[in-house]
Amino acid sequence: MADEKLLNEETEEEKDIFYKRASVDLTPENAKFTASKGGLISLELTHPDGKKEFFERIVAIRAFPITDPDFYISIREPDGKNKEKGSEIGLIEDIHIFDAETVKLLNSELDRRYFTPKIQKVVSLKEKLGQNYWEVVTDAGDFSFVIRNSGSNIRTLEDGRVLLFDIDGNCFEISDPEKLDKASFKKIEIYL
Amino acid sequence: MKLMYDLPKADEEAFLAASESGEKRMYCLPFDILEDEFVKGFMMFTDKSVYKLLDGKLLFKYDYSELSDFFTEMMYGSVGFYAKRNGNTELLCRFISGKNLPRYSVVVGGCEALCDAARHKKSAPEPLESNEPERYCPNCGRPFLLHTKICPFCRNNKAIYKKLWNMTRGLHLMMMVPLFTAIISIIFRFILPFVQKTAIDKYILNDERADNYLLHFIVIIVAIVTLDIAHRAINVIQGRISVISGNRFTRTLRAVLFEKIQMLSMNSISAKTPGDLMGRINNDVSVVQNFVTHLLPTYFGQLFSFILALTLLLWLNPLMCLFVFIPIPIAIYSIAKFRSTMQRRHVHSWLRGQKTNHLLQDVLNGVRVVKSYGNEQREIDAFNKTTQNQAVIDESNAKVFDTVFPILGFVVRFGSYLIMLYGNWLLFHGTMKPGELNQFNSYSGIIYEPLMQITQIPRNITNFITSLSKIFEIIEEEPDVRDADFPENLNIKGNVEIKDVTFGYETYNPVLKNINLSVKAGEMVGLVGHSGCGKTTLINLIMRLYEINSGAIEIDGVNIKDISQNSLRTQIGVVLQETHLFSGSVRDNIRYSKPHATNAEVIAAAKAANAHDFIINLPEGYNTMVGEKGFSLSGGERQRVAIARALIHNPKILILDEATAALDTETEKLIQDAINRLAVGRTTFAIAHRLSTLRNADKILVLDHGNVVEFGTHKELLDKRGYYFKLVMAQKKAAEDGVELDD
Repeated sequence: MADEKLLNEETEEEKDIFYKRASVDLTPENAKFTASKGGLISLELTHPDGKKEFFERIVAIRAFPITDPDFYISIREPDGKNKEKGSEIGLIEDIHIFDAETVKLLNSELDRRYFTPKIQKVVSLKEKLGQNYWEVVTDAGDFSFVIRNSGSNIRTLEDGRVLLFDIDGNCFEISDPEKLDKASFKKIEIYL
Repeated sequence: MKLMYDLPKADEEAFLAASESGEKRMYCLPFDILEDEFVKGFMMFTDKSVYKLLDGKLLFKYDYSELSDFFTEMMYGSVGFYAKRNGNTELLCRFISGKNLPRYSVVVGGCEALCDAARHKKSAPEPLESNEPERYCPNCGRPFLLHTKICPFCRNNKAIYKKLWNMTRGLHLMMMVPLFTAIISIIFRFILPFVQKTAIDKYILNDERADNYLLHFIVIIVAIVTLDIAHRAINVIQGRISVISGNRFTRTLRAVLFEKIQMLSMNSISAKTPGDLMGRINNDVSVVQNFVTHLLPTYFGQLFSFILALTLLLWLNPLMCLFVFIPIPIAIYSIAKFRSTMQRRHVHSWLRGQKTNHLLQDVLNGVRVVKSYGNEQREIDAFNKTTQNQAVIDESNAKVFDTVFPILGFVVRFGSYLIMLYGNWLLFHGTMKPGELNQFNSYSGIIYEPLMQITQIPRNITNFITSLSKIFEIIEEEPDVRDADFPENLNIKGNVEIKDVTFGYETYNPVLKNINLSVKAGEMVGLVGHSGCGKTTLINLIMRLYEINSGAIEIDGVNIKDISQNSLRTQIGVVLQETHLFSGSVRDNIRYSKPHATNAEVIAAAKAANAHDFIINLPEGYNTMVGEKGFSLSGGERQRVAIARALIHNPKILILDEATAALDTETEKLIQDAINRLAVGRTTFAIAHRLSTLRNADKILVLDHGNVVEFGTHKELLDKRGYYFKLVMAQKKAAEDGVELDD
């Protein structure tokens, strides 16, 4: 049968489906990060065979954003708008192997992505019908937000930091609740 | 959702200074974050340029001719809005996802159209609109309650009361009864101390005995007993009536709600979770009922008795009345204070309890994993730590409550000590009689009674209004899939024509784009594609569970919007991957779509579905109970019951959504046989996991990201060596490797 024959052939198309970019370890030797013309990050990657590949823009994602923000940073092609997730170009095992300028460049992108304002003062905290209305002063300015299910959306980490997730997906941090002023601490005490 | 915000004055001026006159405003959206600060800035999109404005300053102005490739990218909480400017990707602005992502998603499309127009020197297109419901209160900007359009801060309470009044029209008299009985009961309570006073002053403590002293005294005693009995009798009647009226009230509300929920389209139902809907039918109705039939008469009665007691006290002795009132502000203050502490402590303890529950659920569900990794001790330690935490809180709460309650009681009763002091002084001087003092004391007690509850009233009213709003939100929702004014009862032959159909569950995010498809009666069409490509959505549209955004689906030349929903659905048979069997017998489940089917019909359907043999071997045959509490059938058996159910009303159109996925090969063969038999002479749409099951399909439709990529017979598509060919290859390879492919 013609079908059977087709099915048994190895074809170029078939290889194509299973093709996935092989992720490499990124080091100062093979990866050169530069500020892009649009104010983002470009990457020039040197393959083992000496071929160079240029990415106009890359996306940086932390593998352990909460516990080890400086280690295992995934450098990826942008998702783009076709909603196909961009694939991984490579991993940076430790950001500090790069020079200070590159670290600063990468961190500018990373800090933007993991924007987590630190709460310095809790101005008011009201509960109404299962929603908690917060008014806070943060290092990014004054802000109001709402938390639902405070049981699961206020997380105390092992190192004592407290993370708060609001209904819009924002994340806030209280570095050390005990160091807040007394009035603020009293307001949040029961959630810790 | 709003896509045109008003600019603040300073930004408006900056915009006017930077723009040319006659520029048409298309969209104006807020952005929330700049560098690492929260800000309140605006992006203004005109027909020529994009402006970024913040606090009266223009941050940039880009023309569409420089821009291309707009997109949004999720970060962590915030979202970036990017575009390419002269070929370089640039971050235009950052905003908070929950608030603004649906808006920007529409504007991304709008900007593409504007760029296109600018590049081809065409006139600008009309601004797009978003029919996403707003999730934030337009009044105060706070989010609505989950799954609702209710802002707890800005709702119109008066309108809600009025709606409740109108809805319970037939129950008004019944609802009034508790109020009347409450008044009568209070009047009795007030008469009692009055009679007691007469008894004490005139007879018990009176030395001058009248002639028929004993007779009078007996009359008084009888009066007291009668009053007491009458008082209790009234209470019994009140109790009974409030139960009856409460039940009627609940039944009326629940019936209206349930009927409405059944009428709603899939679109509105899937926006709410089953838990949420159950909550509205059960909890919210109970809260409303409790308030109307229990709390309201109580509050009303207390208010009435407060006023009555106050009047009587003033009439009896105005000065002494003052003593009653001195401690009231202190009492209310300390009760309010104590309640808020109590509230906090209860929440604290509740949150800890939640944590314990969560841990228990987690570990008990995963007990196999715990055991197989030998981690029992670790889990025991974790559990001990959590319960220890909870115990500490509960202990401290108990200590506080047990100390504060008696103190509070003393504070509230403080007034009565003052009265006792002053009253005794009056007694000593002979200006007051003991009976009068007793009467006074009884009335002042009545005044103190509601104090303990007064601080709870606002909370109860808030809960009541919220539950009521949630109920009305459902009742007043307009179903978006509705029959036409004169729907057609079509006798379906099975020609299906899909014309240029575009659809998205959220309009800004189309799942299907311009789909065209023509199927003749009796043909079998296989739908193929990766998960999320729109296969299930397409068959949902054929069943008209959702309304199409644009385009039309026609059956035998009639738009499905003009066919009555009832006649459409009774002629479509559906077998889904996840088969839901209702609690009931196998027979009930098979004839769900045709309740009066004869036993012979049931058996015939079961036989055609290859289900007869296993059903016969069940303990009670076709009468075996299945469903949640019944006999548990295997996946393949349930599937065959579902096929029999689809078959029994002899549908002209048959829909199979992954009907044979997740079954072993032998069962699949049995079901495949049944399906093949079933599909003969019916228009069939089959979504299949394993492409081999579509071998008999007349046509195969390959979907990718909501677009039709290929359409033709199995052989045609293989010869074409395109997308379908790749899929077949991929599956074949996976099968050779012994791996099941997920999509």
